[in-house]
Amino acid sequence: MNQSNIETLIDAGKKRKADFVEIYEEESRNSSISLRDQKIEQSLAATDYGIGIRLVYGTDVLYAYTSNDDQQHLLSLIHLLADSRGEVANGSSAFTLPGDVAKYSFSKNIHDPRKVPPFRRLELLQKADSVARKVSSKIIQVGVSASDIVTNVLIANSEGLWVEDLRVRSRFFLSVTAENKGERFVASESPGALKGFEFFEGLPVEDIAQKAGERALFMLDAGYIEGKKMPVVMGNGFGGVIFHEACGHPLETEAIRKKSSPFVGKLGESIAQSCLTAYDDGTIEEQYGSLKVDDEGMPTQKTLLIENGILKAYLADRIGSMETGSARTGSGRRESYQYAPVSRMRNTYIEAGKDSLEEMFASVDFGLYAKRMGGGSVNPATGEFNFAVEEGYVIRNGKISEPVRGATLIGKGHEILPKISMVGKDLELAAGTCGASSGSIPVTVGQPSLKVDEILVGGR
Amino acid sequence: MDLEQAAGFVLEEGKRYGIDSFDLIATDSEDIGIEVFKGRIVSTETSRSRGVGIRVLNNSRPGYSYSERFSKEALSQMVRDAMDQTEITDPLDMELPGPKPLAEIDLKHYNPALEKLDFAWMREQGLALDHASWESDKRVENVPHVGVGKSSTQSLIANSKGVFVKKDSNVAYLGTGLVVVESDIKKMGSYYRSGRDISQFDPSYIAKEAAHRGTELLGAKPLPSGVYTIVLGNRISPQIFGMFSSPYFADAVQKGSSRLVGKLGNEVASPILSIYCEAHTPDYPGSRLVDAEGIPTSARTKVLENGVLKSYLYNLESAKRDNVSPTGHGVRSYSGRAGTSFSNMIVPLGTKTKDELLASDSHCIFVTKLEGGAGCSAVSGEISIGIQGIYYKNGKPEHAVDRITMNTNYFDLLHKIQGISNEYSDSYSSIKVPDILISEIHVAG
Repeated sequence: MNQSNIETLIDAGKKRKADFVEIYEEESRNSSISLRDQKIEQSLAATDYGIGIRLVYGTDVLYAYTSNDDQQHLLSLIHLLADSRGEVANGSSAFTLPGDVAKYSFSKNIHDPRKVPPFRRLELLQKADSVARKVSSKIIQVGVSASDIVTNVLIANSEGLWVEDLRVRSRFFLSVTAENKGERFVASESPGALKGFEFFEGLPVEDIAQKAGERALFMLDAGYIEGKKMPVVMGNGFGGVIFHEACGHPLETEAIRKKSSPFVGKLGESIAQSCLTAYDDGTIEEQYGSLKVDDEGMPTQKTLLIENGILKAYLADRIGSMETGSARTGSGRRESYQYAPVSRMRNTYIEAGKDSLEEMFASVDFGLYAKRMGGGSVNPATGEFNFAVEEGYVIRNGKISEPVRGATLIGKGHEILPKISMVGKDLELAAGTCGASSGSIPVTVGQPSLKVDEILVGGR
Repeated sequence: MDLEQAAGFVLEEGKRYGIDSFDLIATDSEDIGIEVFKGRIVSTETSRSRGVGIRVLNNSRPGYSYSERFSKEALSQMVRDAMDQTEITDPLDMELPGPKPLAEIDLKHYNPALEKLDFAWMREQGLALDHASWESDKRVENVPHVGVGKSSTQSLIANSKGVFVKKDSNVAYLGTGLVVVESDIKKMGSYYRSGRDISQFDPSYIAKEAAHRGTELLGAKPLPSGVYTIVLGNRISPQIFGMFSSPYFADAVQKGSSRLVGKLGNEVASPILSIYCEAHTPDYPGSRLVDAEGIPTSARTKVLENGVLKSYLYNLESAKRDNVSPTGHGVRSYSGRAGTSFSNMIVPLGTKTKDELLASDSHCIFVTKLEGGAGCSAVSGEISIGIQGIYYKNGKPEHAVDRITMNTNYFDLLHKIQGISNEYSDSYSSIKVPDILISEIHVAG
């Protein structure tokens, strides 16, 4: 979209008395290739394109999106939105963007995936499939995919902001199914990064496939833990999904502004033990949830959420900031032009602490070591969460004992936080996908190993 | 270029490039909706989204691409992109169908009256529902979600053998999610109506039902861990059955992702359970006369009957692999690859009432809410999930329950079904499952 077209659209919104007008244009080139049953299941290269227009009156948001870039069509959407409020036109003067576009692009190290032929990715998938299948004859299926997306985003608004951001992300997904006498277990791995094809070139594919295959086999014969409340030691890395779901979402101003979070009004208060400090950081180099600018065009930042147990900040987008009084944190995010931005997490993690994993085990007479978490979800309004444990072990008399499968952790985020009593030194980050009101977005979760004194473990 | 013109252009481009065989799917949707919070319209949304996706078979090698731009350049590039993919893919033993006559049934997926619903109507309904939600119960503390909207969609399926099927559909919705509180315990209740009969959109009723769903869980407490009889309420049973639909897909069976492999003709469930796929029921959201690959659908496919596995569901690819006729269960969006799906998954009604099911054991948990599905796996059958509901003793409700989990395996659960009620929930859903009584379920609390 050229400058003149952007200015005409912003002007049209201002003439209809909008306090704030934003134009968001996005074109993505995405490619993916997937292998299952040792065959290429799908190979795809495609183009996504669309424009989002946001008019803000006070803190009321009016949003339109379309994949049709015809200027008259876009103007008609602005008028449709304004008509919905009964706003008549006034005679404001023509809008002019005051400066040149600020352009952000790839770093110098990026290997542009648009220039990589599909067969290069195929080699990667075949290697993973071969290694995983060699682990055991009980491995009956392997699914592998590699995908990348290059997105050019243009954001302009009535405050004179005009930026373009060229983004690239890559993700690898592997699932390994083991079978024995009708029983099945699936182990999966899904690393991702804010990188181009160099992500795949540097990926330890054989190691990932070997470990996933071994885990599927190992867990296939695991029994079940007796379900009840007990201490749980959580593994590092993707274990951070529990903080993301149970505490991260309720700290977004999207929940705070609707008084739909247990953390409303708790800034400055103690919500966890002093061993716990947590951040949401959009600036970490090459991490999957990182961004140079958020989807409202604001540079991202490192946001201290909890410091030594004290709640320090919420994650705020433009509207959330206006309604809650919290400073914007560069957290306005959306899946695509099909969503208006709202406050969302980027790379969310608990900072490394002082305890060792061995010390945590030693403090538990009977409990669960949730070494690898599966997915989870939370209801921010009530704080009720649930998580699946993909790889778990019984802790008995301070030592790791037999493996267990099918365990689930449930509770309330604000009740579990104060029960985190030990925080390990082994901070690790892991890529994930987060779904909420502005769609599914790439994020990073993370934590060191940590101990929760008591949580309900679902089992048999 | 409109949808039909775009499809016509892609068909011509395919021929121009000399592609052996290809099909396309295209959709064009318009949506408008509002959200209300504390008497204000806080969000208004309108959208027009469209796209066309092509699957080519070039020397039997498949390639996929799609475009959300409808210019000649973009659509031509899309065809070339799909062709490029065929250089690396493995051959697929599959033939696209030619045109066949479709059943002459009005599926009632389009109501012209909905086109007249505008923002003024939505504002009126939304504000009325917001007000009714706050007034529905004195324990309502917050109403974070009130939404009203409608969408209309044109979709088109075509292929190089002459299939060309267009469909218009629309739907509207009105709903609320509210938080109730008592003694510092908060529970959320939600209720949405959707469909094409807006005479059913009564804000007062919707608010009361949402409040009931929240307040019935207030005062909840856990139960001791143990083995219990449970009744999955008819709002919950479709969620469980929906999570475990893929084991019935031939594709999953062939690729080792289903425990139903080799079970055709075997008893895999309680003899009182049947599962059908019904594709021709008017006003059900999953109904369709033709699937996404151009295969005419059947009124009823018996998947499971009296506990015996009768059929898998097939798309073109999986049918060819098993050397059977496709069953019309291919599914695809313009941006995705062809897969398999139920049209409408139907468990036939039983004869007992819900209350009779709840009285069939001296201790029974009536499940009305599930907490996420992360602990459920369609491949292994694992079910490990938080549940909430009402504890019944001798057929009478004792107290609400929460902070407990249900742990079982779907394929074991099928054998433990002891009763099926005579009522579906009133949700506009393609999965219809009544209340289900299940014995011997591990519960942790």
